[in-house]
Amino acid sequence: MSEPKPGTLRFLPEDVSLPVAPGETILCHAIRAGVPLLSPCGGEGRCGKCRVIISGESTGGDDPGVLSEADLSAGVRLACRCHPSSGKLTVTVPPGSRPARLAAYLEGRDVAGDEPFLPLHAATGGRRPLGVALDLGTSTLAGALIDLSDGRLIARAAADNPQMPCGEDLISRIVYGEEHEGGFALLRQLLAAGVEKVIAALLGSGPAEGEIVEVTAAGNTVITHILFGASPAPIRHPPYQPVLREYPVRTGKELGSLAAPSAPWRLFPSLGGFVGGDIVAGVLASGMHREDGVCLLFDVGTNGEVALGNREFLMVCSSSAGPAFEGGEVACGMRAYPGAIESARIDPETLAAEWTVIGGGKPLGICGSGILDLCAEMFRTGLIDRAGQFVPRPGAPFTETVRGRAFVVASAERSATGSAICFAAPDLKSVLRTKAALCAAAESLLAAVGLPRDAVERVYIAGGFGNFLDLRSALSLGLFPPFPLETYVPLGNASLAGAIGAIRSRRRWREALSIAAGATYHDLSSDAGFMEAFQRALFIPHTDEESYRKILASQGGR
Amino acid sequence: MALTALEIYKLLPKTNCKECGFPTCLAFAMQIAAGKAGIDQCPPASEEAKETLGAASAPPLPKVIVGTGERAVILGDEVVLYRHEKTFYHPTAFAISVSDALDDDAFRDRIRRIRSLSFERMGETLAVDMVAVRCDSGDPARFAAAAAAAKEGAGKPLLLSGPCDALAAALPSLGPDRPLLSPPVGEGEAGARLAAPLGLPLVVRAKGIDGLEKALAAARAAGACDLVADPMPASLPDAVSLSVYLRRLAILHRAREVAFPTAFDLGNGFPSPFAAASLLVPKYGSLLVLDSDDPADIFPLLTLRQNIFTDPQKPIQVEAGIYPIGKANGSSPVVITTNFSLTFFTVRSDIEASRVPAHLLIADCDGMSVLTAWAAGRFTGESIAKILSESGIAGAVSHRTLILPGMVARLSGKIEELSGWRVLVGPQESSALPSYLRRLPPAAFAPADV
Amino acid sequence: MTVVNPQQTFPGRILEVTLPAGEGGRSVSVGGQTSLPLLPEGERPNAAAIGIEIRTGDEELPPSLSHAFGGKGTDPATLAGNLVEESGAQFLFLSLAGCHPDLGGHAVSRGAGIVRDVLEAVPCPAIVGGCGEEETDALLFPAVAEAAQRPVFLSYADEKNYRLVAGAALAYGHGVVSWSPIDINMAKQANLLLGDIGVPPHRVLIDPLTGGLGYGLEYTYSIVERIRLAGLSGDGALARPILCHLGDSWKAREALDSAEESWGDVIARGRRWEEATAWACLAAGADLLVCRHPDNVKTLRGMVGAPWR
Repeated sequence: MSEPKPGTLRFLPEDVSLPVAPGETILCHAIRAGVPLLSPCGGEGRCGKCRVIISGESTGGDDPGVLSEADLSAGVRLACRCHPSSGKLTVTVPPGSRPARLAAYLEGRDVAGDEPFLPLHAATGGRRPLGVALDLGTSTLAGALIDLSDGRLIARAAADNPQMPCGEDLISRIVYGEEHEGGFALLRQLLAAGVEKVIAALLGSGPAEGEIVEVTAAGNTVITHILFGASPAPIRHPPYQPVLREYPVRTGKELGSLAAPSAPWRLFPSLGGFVGGDIVAGVLASGMHREDGVCLLFDVGTNGEVALGNREFLMVCSSSAGPAFEGGEVACGMRAYPGAIESARIDPETLAAEWTVIGGGKPLGICGSGILDLCAEMFRTGLIDRAGQFVPRPGAPFTETVRGRAFVVASAERSATGSAICFAAPDLKSVLRTKAALCAAAESLLAAVGLPRDAVERVYIAGGFGNFLDLRSALSLGLFPPFPLETYVPLGNASLAGAIGAIRSRRRWREALSIAAGATYHDLSSDAGFMEAFQRALFIPHTDEESYRKILASQGGR
Repeated sequence: MALTALEIYKLLPKTNCKECGFPTCLAFAMQIAAGKAGIDQCPPASEEAKETLGAASAPPLPKVIVGTGERAVILGDEVVLYRHEKTFYHPTAFAISVSDALDDDAFRDRIRRIRSLSFERMGETLAVDMVAVRCDSGDPARFAAAAAAAKEGAGKPLLLSGPCDALAAALPSLGPDRPLLSPPVGEGEAGARLAAPLGLPLVVRAKGIDGLEKALAAARAAGACDLVADPMPASLPDAVSLSVYLRRLAILHRAREVAFPTAFDLGNGFPSPFAAASLLVPKYGSLLVLDSDDPADIFPLLTLRQNIFTDPQKPIQVEAGIYPIGKANGSSPVVITTNFSLTFFTVRSDIEASRVPAHLLIADCDGMSVLTAWAAGRFTGESIAKILSESGIAGAVSHRTLILPGMVARLSGKIEELSGWRVLVGPQESSALPSYLRRLPPAAFAPADV
Repeated sequence: MTVVNPQQTFPGRILEVTLPAGEGGRSVSVGGQTSLPLLPEGERPNAAAIGIEIRTGDEELPPSLSHAFGGKGTDPATLAGNLVEESGAQFLFLSLAGCHPDLGGHAVSRGAGIVRDVLEAVPCPAIVGGCGEEETDALLFPAVAEAAQRPVFLSYADEKNYRLVAGAALAYGHGVVSWSPIDINMAKQANLLLGDIGVPPHRVLIDPLTGGLGYGLEYTYSIVERIRLAGLSGDGALARPILCHLGDSWKAREALDSAEESWGDVIARGRRWEEATAWACLAAGADLLVCRHPDNVKTLRGMVGAPWR
């Protein structure tokens, strides 16, 4: 390996080098160099996920509250707090600090499949008219390619949202935009680059010879604003309103995208600052807006959006649940990609954990469905009480860490990282807060319209997580309000499914617009009952646990 | 039978035309269900909707007004049995009695003492609402003179208690001030005939609910409308149960025959008046007459009233600003917290208990507690830095050290960065403030280098 | 009667809890009712119980209390004995405030010794309160539980320390006061946790935290009403007797200040400040009141029993 030039920073294993910019952190350098590096808290030094291993001189990034002695002497630093000092620096990004490559968040419902396809474009001279449907997620961008001459789905692709290093959650990204000169422009650039990458993957994936003539895109309000070119900053300040709800149709070129420059881009309308086009698309995909029976829709993600309604009414809210089930806020949490523990059981006698890992092999961390299983199992085996506190038991694999008491999921020998994978008390608190927020949001919507819980006939679960979670674990933990198991319907990537439906069918697009026009946004922060419902839902499975017990008992099994 | 938001919504046009001022018909329906909007705000509403929703909102307990102008007292007009269901609207009115049998000096003295029953707390003035003039002399002319003197001296609405000939003597001069007439139990009909032509409010008395029902019907038949019911309890338990039953009948059972505000005479030898008043304030007494003018009795009762009649849905808040505690000076510690009343008073009280003079810097957070305000983005590094530069605290102290509630320790870095002040992280709980403040080294508050 | 019967019936019943006494003393039972307070309806086997608090340590006494305590003794056992006898208190609440580092810093052994002495001298039922400082109480509760020669109630257990307090209670046969900070859901949760760990329901009392008059009383008032309504409506974990500790009312400036002339005499005012708090709590549903002023105990005792039968 050659020595890096003076004043250069070199990233491994990509072997990308760039000149050191004085005053900039290693994280900033990584963003500029296009080196993927996790930074859920947006570079504020809070989450501890941007670990890198340095060789050379640097200052900062060595907080003993986050990094252990062993870490520090091995050269581990937090990239968001570490500055290159001498200019000759090699930075290795370990696997645990990388965001997901490809998530399995592509499967979804066929929304327009029940009606005959009416082509609005024809194939001309062997070139097919193509449509691109996009789901602009906070962490993952997903897309689908449709042949608009016959309505066939040709390909799917996904990529990480390149905005991730600027903050895992939307607020962090707005803050990033506000606090960095040119921050919003960078966010827009990164997003456009990610979209282009998805579209390139779609086009390159098969023999499709054609031209993109239409694009639909469903994303949350902040991301849609950024794509459209409107500032999302007002969402974060009183009166907390987005600049736009409906987005006038623009061409790709007008939106600053190199892909599909002359095609019209239809962006799904937003419902509020934190409930966006992705939820509109999700409602569209579920079909709840056409059903007689009352339905609930949960989007288990950072924003924790919940929708309640049927063909007569629709009410939506955002619970700000937190990313615990996306692997955020949980120290050993990760996205669902190879190396993630995706399901877990704890032996009630030995209290040892057993798990399955995506892709096999040793685990790197735990993804949402694994976290769900683990928490449900800890409760079932009496390792935690109803309040989520650890119960001191002889033989329990607990250990004391810098973050307090923790349950050892995988010992150092059994883990791929060389350190034990532990689930600590603060992680448990994050999980409980997330699930309490979702449940309380649903309860608040029902109370707001005056419906009893048993009026709900179907519960749709949007988000890839929904396809993989164990419903029994979900009800044992109390992730959702208690309904008979067959009530729950996972939708997969409902946002993408809705975008696909809208590009296949103009009627579905118009339905999406009318869903948005008729929806009532319910502000939970001014709902006095929400905080009480939240407190009640903090217990496992709930302070009022009888309904949960009945449902789990009637289904038999463990 | 309250309709749910969804039931109301089904009666609306469902066009989301926004003429009512709300974004959707469902949002409007929720406001109607919460009692915060009326169907009259919806021009395109159907006749059926207007009828159903209009009728449903008629108040179960009528309103009776005593007195006129700024000091008028409102009795009744309540909608819930428990304050936590919504709120109680009209605080129990207190009337202190004065006897027309007192000689001039004693009378004036009594009126003066009643007037001085005025106390400031939590930014409100607590005072008794009315003077109850009792005809003990049996002399109508004397009664009329006493009533006039009471009005003159106390400047409060009057309750006139005496036989009808005495009441009649007082009315020519006092009628326009809308006094509450209170004839004895045997003269109910005569009293109604006095009150009706002048439209004056009238206390109707009878023993027990059955008796009241008849007496109220008779009063209404005689043309009196603004009625206040006195069920004449013999004992404290009697008073409480009668008060509760009358309120239940009005609110739960919609028994219009007995749905009226209530009055209780806790003077005149009524047993345990302080206990009775303490129980009847939360338990539905609309008007209480007391003989005591002792602030040691009245101040706690007025405070109890203030507490019970606070709107549970509104967080009570104090004004933002600098509150010096003890002999706070330029080198005293500065403690910051939010303007939720309970937070303010608890922290202030704990600072007082520490005997360490300090400046309590209160941030306007819309009455939210520390954690709630932080979660809602109202108590942040930026907002605190702004307060440090704009509140004038920089001029009040020579040091630049701020004590931050332990619950929001994470803001300290940001505050220091933006304001240049040094931040000390205080305890998580206010109750630990006394020992925390006492253990602070004086050097922490040495003048800053400017 | 042409109007409807205004009495209200409920499907639930508040669990009856008995506070046991020592030899020669009288136990007191609370709870067991099927109706809201102070009304002649439903079953009401027990009246509210009125107790008196004795605090160790060197806090300054409010003027009204030092006036009432004058000459009745300085050591806890003597003072307790005299006050209980004079006031007719049905139970004693012994707060070991003196073990708090700021209020005397008594050693744990001294606190335990005081408990032993007081329980021996005064046979009425007793509740023993810690000092309010977390680390000290972690040592104090087990010591007190052991030192008490007869069953008492330990005050208090909350979500954070319930294992410790319940452990001490279970080991020595005591009851537990289940505390929550004016929050009905946390009150229920605290009871569920105690139940999970094995504390029998009839050995639990609910303390919802009582804000003093003028300083949060209304929050307590509504939470007590809500807890009582929930219990009577069938929520078993909330169908328990409620204890209102009136100590907070003595922190009010209005109960202590003798400077303001227009406020009247502080001796009477302090007592009334606590008394008004007491009545409000009874109106909301309190089954046990802990007073500091012996005259209030007398007044309340004289009025909550027979007149309401």
